[in-house]
Amino acid sequence: MTTAAGKRIRGRTASLNRFGAGTQAAFHIALGLFALLCIVPFLFVIIISFTSEESIRQIGYSFRPLSWSTQAYQYTFRLGDQLWRSYFNSFLITAVGTALSVLITFLYAYPLFRKDYSRRNFFNFLSFFTMIFGGGLVPTFVICKSVLGLSDNYAALIVPMLFSPFNVIIMRTFFQTSVPMELIEAATIDGSGEYRTLFRIVFPIVTPGIATISLLVALGYWNEWFLSLLYINKNMNIIPLQYLLMRMQRNADFLAKNSAMIGADASRAAAQLPSQTLKMALVVFIVVPIACAYPFFQRYVVAGLTVGSVKG
Amino acid sequence: MKRFLCLVLSLALALGLCGFAHADELPTITIMFHGSNVTDDSAVLEKVNEYIADKVGAKLEVIWGTWGDFDEKATNALATGDSEVDMLFTCSWSADEFNTYAKNGFFEPLDEYFDKDPEFGDALKAALPEALMQAATVEGPEGEKHIYAVNGFKDTATQNTWDINVTLLKELGYTVEDVQRLGFFGWGEIFAKAKEVKGDSFYPFLVEPAVAERMVTNTIIVTGDSGSVNLLSYYLDPADVSKADAKYGNVLLNKFATDEYAAFTKQMREYYLAGYINPALAVAETSNDTRTNAQKEAAYLIGTQSYAYGYEYSAEVIARGVEVQFLPCTEPYVDTTVSQGAMMAVSSASQHPEESFRFLALLNSDPYLMTLMNYGVEGVHYTLDEDGLLVFTEERANYTPWTNGMGNVTLLPDTQAEGKGFREAFKEFYASGKAVPVLGYIFNNEPVANEMAALSNVAAQYSLALDCGAVDPETELPAFLEALNGAGMEAYLAEANAQLEAFLGE
Amino acid sequence: MPENRMGALRKQAKNRGGRRRKNLWLDTMVLPGAVWLLLIRYLPMFGIVLAFKNYKAQRPNTFWNNIWKSKWVGLDNFQFLKSPDTAVMIRNTLGYNILWIILGLIISVAFAVMMSELSNRLLAKSYQTMMFFPYFLSWVVASYFVLAFLDPTSGMIPAMQKASGGAVTNFYHETEWWPLILTICNLWKNIGYSSVLYLAAITGIDATQYEAAAVDGATKWQQVVHVTLPNIRTMIVILLIMNVGKIFNADFGLFYNVPQNSGSLYPVTQVVDTYVYRAYANTHNIGMSSAAGFLQSAVGLVCIIGANAIVRKIDPESSLF
Repeated sequence: MTTAAGKRIRGRTASLNRFGAGTQAAFHIALGLFALLCIVPFLFVIIISFTSEESIRQIGYSFRPLSWSTQAYQYTFRLGDQLWRSYFNSFLITAVGTALSVLITFLYAYPLFRKDYSRRNFFNFLSFFTMIFGGGLVPTFVICKSVLGLSDNYAALIVPMLFSPFNVIIMRTFFQTSVPMELIEAATIDGSGEYRTLFRIVFPIVTPGIATISLLVALGYWNEWFLSLLYINKNMNIIPLQYLLMRMQRNADFLAKNSAMIGADASRAAAQLPSQTLKMALVVFIVVPIACAYPFFQRYVVAGLTVGSVKG
Repeated sequence: MKRFLCLVLSLALALGLCGFAHADELPTITIMFHGSNVTDDSAVLEKVNEYIADKVGAKLEVIWGTWGDFDEKATNALATGDSEVDMLFTCSWSADEFNTYAKNGFFEPLDEYFDKDPEFGDALKAALPEALMQAATVEGPEGEKHIYAVNGFKDTATQNTWDINVTLLKELGYTVEDVQRLGFFGWGEIFAKAKEVKGDSFYPFLVEPAVAERMVTNTIIVTGDSGSVNLLSYYLDPADVSKADAKYGNVLLNKFATDEYAAFTKQMREYYLAGYINPALAVAETSNDTRTNAQKEAAYLIGTQSYAYGYEYSAEVIARGVEVQFLPCTEPYVDTTVSQGAMMAVSSASQHPEESFRFLALLNSDPYLMTLMNYGVEGVHYTLDEDGLLVFTEERANYTPWTNGMGNVTLLPDTQAEGKGFREAFKEFYASGKAVPVLGYIFNNEPVANEMAALSNVAAQYSLALDCGAVDPETELPAFLEALNGAGMEAYLAEANAQLEAFLGE
Repeated sequence: MPENRMGALRKQAKNRGGRRRKNLWLDTMVLPGAVWLLLIRYLPMFGIVLAFKNYKAQRPNTFWNNIWKSKWVGLDNFQFLKSPDTAVMIRNTLGYNILWIILGLIISVAFAVMMSELSNRLLAKSYQTMMFFPYFLSWVVASYFVLAFLDPTSGMIPAMQKASGGAVTNFYHETEWWPLILTICNLWKNIGYSSVLYLAAITGIDATQYEAAAVDGATKWQQVVHVTLPNIRTMIVILLIMNVGKIFNADFGLFYNVPQNSGSLYPVTQVVDTYVYRAYANTHNIGMSSAAGFLQSAVGLVCIIGANAIVRKIDPESSLF
């Protein structure tokens, strides 16, 4: 094995490990266009949130409004306490929920990947079956509220979403594709305990998987509003921002559907409703933290991308 | 296995419930309201609990349901037999629809409590008109009639009006008399003029399509009919609303199969094609936003509005900045739907029905409590001016329940905005409402529930677009009628009429 | 000899003991999730009986008692299937789902492969970040965006049509556009998400496999076909099976909010979920909605078991269970 031969091989691998410039350009066009299409709506929402009511009335939503206004944001800030408290709640629920959920999912998925675990099939099915079959909304509500006491507390906004069979399957797949059984066997022979093996040896390998499901779980918590609707009756201090937005939306929808029955009261109530621009401003409030947090996750999600660059 | 599980669970539940009762404390009763905008009720509840402790013998807690979440919360609480919700708003149009839920046993019959607590019961009976009591007396699970709710005083008569932008009308050289004389089928020339003056993006005819349909055809809502889109019509005599229309008589009709409906859609089509109607009104989700905004900005000439007494003097109408007049289609009338417009029922899952009844009776007969619950605390949420009229403070923004949803609003004092004597005039206006011939008729749709589910989907598909003129009635109306027949309209109609005959025979 | 045998036996016994202990340790890992599943997913399953009962309040009015004492009505709650709309909603639900499963799979795998192969890491990351964005937005918000394009009075497309003097398309009353619009919306929202899953799987592939292939003289295209695709096969199959299991369920917001609940569009937007929702809004019949949910679950279960059985025959490694 001479150095020259080694160099030649490495050189050839390099060229064979990359697509040609033309193909790369085609990829960039396809991905770039789609990516642009994905980002435009959000820019649009931002623009609408800064559009004046007058402009919306005259030309509707537009990328180039006739006049700008920060009225929606001023109104938002006037929500004051409620806004910041809900904002805080959203962060709290998401952080605690995600941490717990990912831990439980991680712990549940690992034995399911271990071929030497005797109850593997049973627990696999136990989790999987619930993806397809459920008891329905009302019975679940009764169990959570009357039996588990999930009512008017933070737990009510966290516990019902703590576990997702879908994420278990994703996580298990990550174990299957990236953790060789030999590694675990070797660790066992070295006298490493199960938990030690899991957290010291396996965990670092599957960080892309952990990051991926963390992202999914965090998004789930951040966007959740239905639990608040179900379980929060009296303690409005703990509702998240998303619910604040949805409540406005639902108020408007309800008045629209029932105005004939409620009569003049509906017109009266509708006149008090926040404008479209305010709703868009709240959407901005909701989306911005996620947009900021995402790149952070992505560093781990695509930790593999750097691994990929090594291979090139 | 399931049986066993059920048993164990119900035992666990029962034990859990018993465990928390403290003998020395007053029990807590909880009431759920609709349409509230309340962020801070502490000051009010403190006063309320002081006041009711001896009288009612309980402590009050409130769930301030909003427009958007009440339906979900109320139906969940009822369906799950939630003992934490003792009293809740109900009516003929909300999701916890009064007649259905009473019939299925979810509400507590109140008759016995009137006798048990005569002091409260008599005060309540004295405070509410007989007609309201009657409307709250409906069939229970066994088919026997009981009082199932305390009926509030929301606009107890219906009057649909044409909402006219008089300022613009004058500018165009017409008067309200012209509008009345020309009538719905003759407004084309006024609209054309408006379009000419105000430009192409101005839509003069601002309708809530389903309401416009009832106004033009002189029909009423039939209680128990499909809620989101009505399927049945009952024709009134426009000259005297206490009589049925001479042409049809005392009968329920397929709303969409009459000549009147065909004529209405044909005219709407003409207006739509001429550009008098905003196309956004013809799409379910954008319809009301569009209407509310245009109304707010007075960007219309003629609109529809179901009227409530004093509405023309309300802040919302004044804020439009133009002269507005409401031109009634008929005299105010009382039908079943409106007589059940806002009520409070006691859940049959409540552990404290007696206290709940006492509270509801007190709320609806005691001006102090009603004012406190509705307008808040004097000196905090409002002050009184030299005439004794209410002036709201800024704090009111944090405590704005839905006034008409709370109960007997005739107990309330006049506010400065309403002016002196408002409540008296309010009572008089609603007392003048004439009863329609089918007042008290409630269609029990249970025997045709499956047909109704299918029919309402068909109707939702066609009716809004037709009512608005967005599609051509020449082709769409026959297709619609055929689809309705395919979905079981005949059976539905037959059941409704059979029940009506039985009702009229009584 | 005997001593050796004894040693082997002792070793075996020790192994068995070790195995049992190992299993116990693994049991403790599964425990929290299993408890959650039992409490929040399995316990409420008794509610399935609601699909076969005429649920009414009983005396005393508690949920358990109501379920217990309400009358059995057999299949009455499934009568909603007799409606003439049934064929339309089933066609729509299955049709859109099948189309989107296929399109979604092809496009998101393609995008994931492309992204993994770009040499400009920074751009690749930006694309990925941007493509994930729609997943943040709810359908309600997305529906505003669609409305901004299609609104008959102020939408961008009708405004352009007006400006160029052409006939204005009234999108919310014309059915022929909606299969396309809904497909675009669905792909727009979900591609970023599923391609991240595939991408994460691709990045987990051992780099030496590519090197080995390269040494064997495989071109990049060949490497994609022979290294990348086989390695993410498990992920593809699993997502596929799971989508097949949901073939009778539809994304409610997409079919309800995005078309603005426009009645004229029902022939192409009515799906099982929207139909049941609309019917429930009118009748508030718990039995019927339970029946519909039960039906969706049952169909899903049959589909998923079928799909899994097929996969297991062809490629046992990738099967779900």
